[in-house]
Amino acid sequence: MRRDPVVAPAVLLVWGAVALFVLYPLGRLLVLTFWNDGPSLDAVRGLVGDWTHRAALVNSLLLAALVGIAGTVLGFAFALLAVRANLPRWVSRALDAVVLLPLISPPFTAAIALIFALGPRGLISYHVFGLTRVSIYGLWGTLLSETLTYFPIAYLTLKAVLANVDANLEDSAFSLGARRWRVFRTVTLPLTTPGVANAFLLVSAASLADFATPLILAGTRFPVLPTQAFLQITGLYDMRGGAALCFLLLVPALAVFAGQRWFTERRGGTFVTVTGKVGAVTRVKSLSPAAVLGLAAGCGLVVVLVLVCYLLIFAASIVRGLGADNSLSLAHYAHVFSGGLKAVRDTLLIAAICMPVGGLFAVVLGFLVSRTQFPGRRALEFVAMMNYALPGTIVGIAYLVAFNDPPLALTGTAFILVVCYVFRYSLAGTRATSAVLAQIDPSIEEASASLGARRDVTFRRVVLPLIRPALLAGMTVLFIRGMTAISATIFLVSLDWSLVTVRILEGITNLELGQASAFSMVVIALVYLAVFVASLAMRRLNAGSLGQAGTLLGG
Amino acid sequence: MGKARHWLATVCAAAVLGAGPAAAETLNVYTAWPESLSQPIFKAYTAKTGVQVNFIRLSTGELIARATAERNNPRADVIWGAPGDGFAAAKEAGIIEPYRPPTWDRIPAELKDREGYFTAVAKNTLVFMSNAKLLQEKGLKPPTSWNDLLDPAYKGQIQTADARTSGTALTRILSIYYAFGRDETKTFDYQKKLHQNVQVYTKSGGGCTIPAALGQAIVCIAHMPDAMEAKKKGYDMVVTFPREGVAAVIEGVALVKGARNRELATKFIDWTFSKDMQDLLDKHQVYMLPTLPDASIDAGVAALMKEAKLLPVDLVWVGKNRKRLVERWVNEVIKE
Repeated sequence: MRRDPVVAPAVLLVWGAVALFVLYPLGRLLVLTFWNDGPSLDAVRGLVGDWTHRAALVNSLLLAALVGIAGTVLGFAFALLAVRANLPRWVSRALDAVVLLPLISPPFTAAIALIFALGPRGLISYHVFGLTRVSIYGLWGTLLSETLTYFPIAYLTLKAVLANVDANLEDSAFSLGARRWRVFRTVTLPLTTPGVANAFLLVSAASLADFATPLILAGTRFPVLPTQAFLQITGLYDMRGGAALCFLLLVPALAVFAGQRWFTERRGGTFVTVTGKVGAVTRVKSLSPAAVLGLAAGCGLVVVLVLVCYLLIFAASIVRGLGADNSLSLAHYAHVFSGGLKAVRDTLLIAAICMPVGGLFAVVLGFLVSRTQFPGRRALEFVAMMNYALPGTIVGIAYLVAFNDPPLALTGTAFILVVCYVFRYSLAGTRATSAVLAQIDPSIEEASASLGARRDVTFRRVVLPLIRPALLAGMTVLFIRGMTAISATIFLVSLDWSLVTVRILEGITNLELGQASAFSMVVIALVYLAVFVASLAMRRLNAGSLGQAGTLLGG
Repeated sequence: MGKARHWLATVCAAAVLGAGPAAAETLNVYTAWPESLSQPIFKAYTAKTGVQVNFIRLSTGELIARATAERNNPRADVIWGAPGDGFAAAKEAGIIEPYRPPTWDRIPAELKDREGYFTAVAKNTLVFMSNAKLLQEKGLKPPTSWNDLLDPAYKGQIQTADARTSGTALTRILSIYYAFGRDETKTFDYQKKLHQNVQVYTKSGGGCTIPAALGQAIVCIAHMPDAMEAKKKGYDMVVTFPREGVAAVIEGVALVKGARNRELATKFIDWTFSKDMQDLLDKHQVYMLPTLPDASIDAGVAALMKEAKLLPVDLVWVGKNRKRLVERWVNEVIKE
């Protein structure tokens, strides 16, 4: 297996791409930060005296850990409900649709909607419960908002993994006399370890990179690193100091990465549940009716909160001015479909290119790191994660520093936007692929190889169909992020390419809440449409059944 | 294998997408002003001269960071409409060069950089905007003094910008500094007291406008255009000034060093400081005060400005002390 004519070139190609689009820009920025006619620590000199920076490192770790745990637990609960509760088909589809919503939150809208719902005069806090002294600002508000925003990534990953846990295995445990809770604890849960670890990694790294939510909700009492870095760069015009703070962020990122590996390896053993042998399809019965009810109640509460937030955004989009003139009007949509149409078209085109390119990159990378052996495998895994775990501001600036001059003058083109998204947001697909591959018996691929298929043929004909749920999850996340990302892109958008998110941000800073909301609703509609089309295409591509893992609407 | 194919696809797509339209005379501008304010003015220039004005709107800090990162190969020709402290940073970073428009001598000294690196297109002021309904509910009068804001009735009801953001917060600190007779000790004592009533410090200058308009807080301390926009949108906001005075800050314009279209850029800057253009600030409701003394002023703004006491700001002093003021704020005001 190791001396395969295809693997080595593939590894070289992936390493080359990652080196060029992750290591090179960050390296250029590193030099800019710590080299001033010689090695220099000027950049950090101004930072050490500031108590908020010291507090920020600890706070960031704490927040990332809490968001990671909360997001994974919530994602797991939703995935259990979707895959294991024998829900009617329409209910699970509706669940899918709602769960995807928070992920499609354009910059700042989720945090702002949360303030509308739970702030001092919020719809839920004040108008329903009559509370006047609510404090949404600080650790709890930030934690709540980030958990709501990122748990869908955990859900998508865990759903693919849970669906691969053969119900027959649980059945065997039942027939040996185990009770449900014991089966869950000793069979189901351990078998999802790779999925849980990867979901945690994805959610906490997303939290590490997120500066927008704390920007609005953290306040001054709970400083976190990405926001500190953002303020250092944009408020104090100290690019080098801000970059230094961002490089500091690699410490918690490495911690999360190591934690994920430790968690998977501590369990040891094998997580293989997909083998060549197929048992009779059995009805899933691992959840008692009481457990289903409990899960449904818990998830229902979250669904209600999410729906309230998005209904508020919807409401803002169809009235003249929320809170000032509440008469119905389609003026904001008229604006989107006249002046904003170019932005919608550009964004859609770029996201549509990113989806297949990034999806394929993600599964190839995921496959290489979990199925083949080569030197620097762990390093590649971590490097591929770096752009994801760093705040977009710094990634954007690094790209600008690296790709503005010849020979690699890429700024001003759509290419740089595509590359930025692919190397920043493919991680979800990569990690989902790794998690699912851990469940698939390598002997299936060996069988293909022993029948004379080359590695690339095996990959295309055997592996790809088996990891399709992971690919779909990865592409979904990529498309959504492509439609909604802003922090890095604000440095890369050019005069010829305008993006919807820039318009949304514009709307929010310019008090055009209605326009921002209308753009957001259009983005949401487009994402649903795209995911629907993608899953239809996937179904046509391969006649095999996606089973319970079918994502949204399609499946 | 698949990899190679997908790279090829990306490159091809990029080649197709990358080929933008090439206009004959195009000027590239970075601005921090919202599109609704800047675009009508740029369009007016295009109508007059036929020169296409391409612009990207960024927050001040992002604008300076982007221009700094592009220093070796500048993409913008002019930085147009951003707070003065941003230009001080741009000057220090070496990304702008001096240029004096023909009307230079008619521009008041406090509205231009002594060496001509940047010049104010307009003057901006700080205001208190209060939610009228909430004031009434609590039986409060609109605040007309910095000390009014210390009333315990405002506890947890004031929002304003974080000192580490550009522009607005600095204007607030300067306003307090000048209003309290340039006594730094009094300035910081006051801010510590004000801190007790602050619900949250927003990370963008006008970030408190929507919360105050929607009743999440009673008072928002921000710039004039934010307040006037809110009123224009129909929110019931009361705009007042502290009688001790507020600092007036500048919204500047500068020529980018090494600009590709230098000649177009300087012509555009010349036009910026002509009476024709300065009158447009009123016509398009920018809600700032024009730089040229004889340009027309929005009636609403003019009426409000009668109550305002504008305190001139010493730009040189600000340039030297800005960092220190922000550091003191972080280490003394918000540290608990």
